[in-house]
Amino acid sequence: MKSNKNINQKNSIFQNWLIIIVAILFIIFPFIINAYWVDVLFFFGVYALLGLSLNIVLGEVGLFDLGHMGFMAIGAYTTAILNTTFGIPIIVLLPISAIAAGAFAWLVCSPIIHLRGDYLCIVTIGMGEIVRLTLNNNPFGITGGSNGVYGIDFPSLGNIFVVDNSTKFYYYIWLIVGLTIIGLVNLQRSRIGRAWNCIREDEIAAESTGIDVRYYKLLAFVLGAGLAGVAGNIYASKLMIVSPESFSFMESCMLFCIVLIGGMGSIPGVLIGAAAISLFPEVFRAFAQYRMLIFGAAMVAMMIFRPGGIWPRKRGAFEFKPLLMKAGEEND
Amino acid sequence: MKIVLEQLLNGLTIGSFYALIALGYSMVYGVMKLINFAHGDLFALGSYLGFTLLVSGSAYATVTLGIWGGMIAAMLIAAIGIGIAGTLIERIAYRPIYPAGRLPAVVSALGASIVIQNGIMVVWGPRPQAYSSQVVPSVILNIGGIKITLMQIVVLIISFILMGLLFYIIQKTTFGAAIRACALDRSTAALMGINIETIIFFIFALGPALGGMAGVMVGMYYRKISFTMGWNYGLKAFTATILGGIGNIPGAMLGGLLLGILEMLGSVYLSTAYKDVFVFLILILVLIFRPTGLLGEKIAEKV
Amino acid sequence: MKRIKLLLGFSVLVLVLCIASLGVMAADKPPVVIGLQGPITGPYAVEGEMAKQSVEIAAQMINEKGGILGGRMIEIRIADDACQPKAGALAAMKLITQKDIVAAIQTYGSFVVLPASDIYEKFQKVNIAYGATITDLTERGLKYFFRTCGRTDTQAKFFADKVVPFFDAKKIAIMNNNTSFSVGLAEETREALKSRIDAGEVEIVYFDAINPEETDFTVPLTKLRETNPDVFYYTGHFPEAGLIIRQAREIGIEAIFVGGDAVVNEDFINIAGIEYAKGVYQTQEALIEYFTNPEAMAFKEAYKAKYDTLPSSPWSVYAADALCVLAEAIDKSGSTDSDVIADYLRNKMDKFPSITGPVGFDEIGDRVGSSINLYVVNEDGSSSICDTK
Repeated sequence: MKSNKNINQKNSIFQNWLIIIVAILFIIFPFIINAYWVDVLFFFGVYALLGLSLNIVLGEVGLFDLGHMGFMAIGAYTTAILNTTFGIPIIVLLPISAIAAGAFAWLVCSPIIHLRGDYLCIVTIGMGEIVRLTLNNNPFGITGGSNGVYGIDFPSLGNIFVVDNSTKFYYYIWLIVGLTIIGLVNLQRSRIGRAWNCIREDEIAAESTGIDVRYYKLLAFVLGAGLAGVAGNIYASKLMIVSPESFSFMESCMLFCIVLIGGMGSIPGVLIGAAAISLFPEVFRAFAQYRMLIFGAAMVAMMIFRPGGIWPRKRGAFEFKPLLMKAGEEND
Repeated sequence: MKIVLEQLLNGLTIGSFYALIALGYSMVYGVMKLINFAHGDLFALGSYLGFTLLVSGSAYATVTLGIWGGMIAAMLIAAIGIGIAGTLIERIAYRPIYPAGRLPAVVSALGASIVIQNGIMVVWGPRPQAYSSQVVPSVILNIGGIKITLMQIVVLIISFILMGLLFYIIQKTTFGAAIRACALDRSTAALMGINIETIIFFIFALGPALGGMAGVMVGMYYRKISFTMGWNYGLKAFTATILGGIGNIPGAMLGGLLLGILEMLGSVYLSTAYKDVFVFLILILVLIFRPTGLLGEKIAEKV
Repeated sequence: MKRIKLLLGFSVLVLVLCIASLGVMAADKPPVVIGLQGPITGPYAVEGEMAKQSVEIAAQMINEKGGILGGRMIEIRIADDACQPKAGALAAMKLITQKDIVAAIQTYGSFVVLPASDIYEKFQKVNIAYGATITDLTERGLKYFFRTCGRTDTQAKFFADKVVPFFDAKKIAIMNNNTSFSVGLAEETREALKSRIDAGEVEIVYFDAINPEETDFTVPLTKLRETNPDVFYYTGHFPEAGLIIRQAREIGIEAIFVGGDAVVNEDFINIAGIEYAKGVYQTQEALIEYFTNPEAMAFKEAYKAKYDTLPSSPWSVYAADALCVLAEAIDKSGSTDSDVIADYLRNKMDKFPSITGPVGFDEIGDRVGSSINLYVVNEDGSSSICDTK
């Protein structure tokens, strides 16, 4: 076992160096590329945050959520409406949007949390669509219909901390992503994280060891929604406009793919997945109309050759074999 | 009363399109436990295949075979073409992924969907196309004071015939029993001597074939086709599948028709803008009280 | 190790591409570069394509005459926004971050122009809209925003004051497609009809929205039919309008069908089929066929020579107008500075003879000198003007 220990040590040294190199790259990026690419990297950051938020629900607990953009929409619109109507500062609205999205998730997921995998899937799709359609119809005249709400401010704390150009937004979002990662890594290693993983592996076994499955599932949804709400807040203040079609079913599917392509439950995986999904279309703009075609084909190829994701989660005894066994199962 | 009947027919027409597409989802899911997201786009592809056949060569097909002949030819070609496409997709995008579980298959299905949708866009262009007037009958009938187009009647008749045929195959033939057995328990069915390969081939050929035929009918009925139509119809049809109970063939038919009628009711009694919200809310309510859909069986939980 | 290599390789790739794009940027100096934002892909691609073609023809005409600012050629740079707000914001950013872009001509669709114009304003680039008519756009106090197209409130008033009496209509059905432009036009029409409604001359019997992504409108159309209107005014867009007119006629709606300014173009006629499209009216700004001034004739000739047909809606011609106007402003003011150009457009441009007639801009950036007319579609797909006096 001595050789194993050396390899493990080497691996973690490499990992540490890797994190440092990537961090340095991230910090200096805006000074070496033009503003358009800074914007693209900003959106990469938003997708990373969203991917991490969905990762809680899908990656850790294994809940089939295809309506996640609905939560982001709630956060974004809360920010937009409260800011344009009452002038409340964006920074103050950040926690408020998170709470609004989380509360919405709690309200809406409570009655359906017991549904089986695929049925939960369609219900989450339904939720996402209901949110989008309702926003589109301008109820009570507050959501601006398909035009959306525009004229949103920048985040600012007095005169010191003002985020008003692409570079500042870039640092802002990545700061938030960084803090989120730290929080999530701690969650993963905590009791809550272990309870989540247990539920994902075998719900009935988890219940029989005394885990309150319903509570933990709801917690995952609420946390995931809250994070998505944060992403919504930042997105709204950057674009200065929110409109319903930014939160479509297709976007929820892309989030789903981010988590799966990156590696379910794996934080570095989600970051890579977010990079792949958000940067790929930009990088391949040269291919014009074939761009999305190649993208789709790449997704299929990805799953054929690396179904565990680019950077699967290493969880102690967890390995690929349990996934292989699922092929023989008929009734879930 | 007249209006009610007319609106009912409208609801049934759109519902039958949903039903035909929903059948494809249900068949594949029942046996493979896989949501074939590419199915909606196969339906769109069928529509485009029909369009190409009918419109090319200055509507050669319609000129030689007549409007109805042309339509039947288009439907047959679409059925065969999309049936082949369906099995190809299964081979390329799904088969290699079976060992890895269901979630990677979802991503692969989404990828396949994007490929087909953009493939259509690359080949036929991003602008919507239209089945031109010469290949579509534009006879308007007046039956008992209700204005109804000939096409609508034809669509309803053909859809119900197809659904009836499929129902018969699934419920009354041995082959159908084999499919239902596979849906229930695939490994035991294999032990009973059922050739799973054949069953898989059949469902991936027949489901999309039905979708392709529906595509041609949609093209002839509405005339406008666009490369994003697969996504729109697909989502509705998938909702219909769940409503009826996923994996359940009669359920898919019922779900589709019911969805069309619900949409109609929402549009007439609420507002057209909120009808989709209404439909999704009904769906969620149904699932809260009957988690496996309207006709779904109660699944016992494994301990 | 494999993953680490993957990740490093990926980062390097991204880095290289970013640096490459930086390099490409530094290349050109001499031409005057004008950005053109439009829906090149997506369901409104026909409008984007026509706009691109029109602007390129206009640029070609100016370049053939020797260019501007002492021999500098005009170069058009395109950014695709697929007629969506977020893509519009990104396209605007893409144009702005290219340092040599002097000004921008932007886009079709009021809801895309809104966020895009905010961005142009923030980065102080003159931008002229060609396909965005909702009234609010110029009510926001923006310094660099102009438009060569008209406004929906003008159109609404025209409908109420001229079109309704032209048909001697008593019962009016108004349908919109839930987009802000469409809802805006519908509501402003209702506003404009208010005095007549109060006087009991006119009644709005149907006022509702449909979802433009659907294909089946038989249910709401049946509802509309039962209200028995004389005139059916549809304020939405052409992709679904083609379906609506056909389905409406098939279920027996005999009312006169009038489209708003986004309804009729070649795609509409293609989707509806000419047997249903003929006899359709539209409240529309000037169609290029009707202009006989020398600039219009020259433009029509050049456009026809290259593309064999004429643009089927006014917006693309307005885009060409925007280019001519920008070229004139840059040339006469002798500068590519945004403030100077904006000032020239607002204060010094007066009845500049452009393709669609004399152009000037008022204080808030609206076009002075555009007109709305009633047109009807003919047997061969072309449109004729109706005399609404």
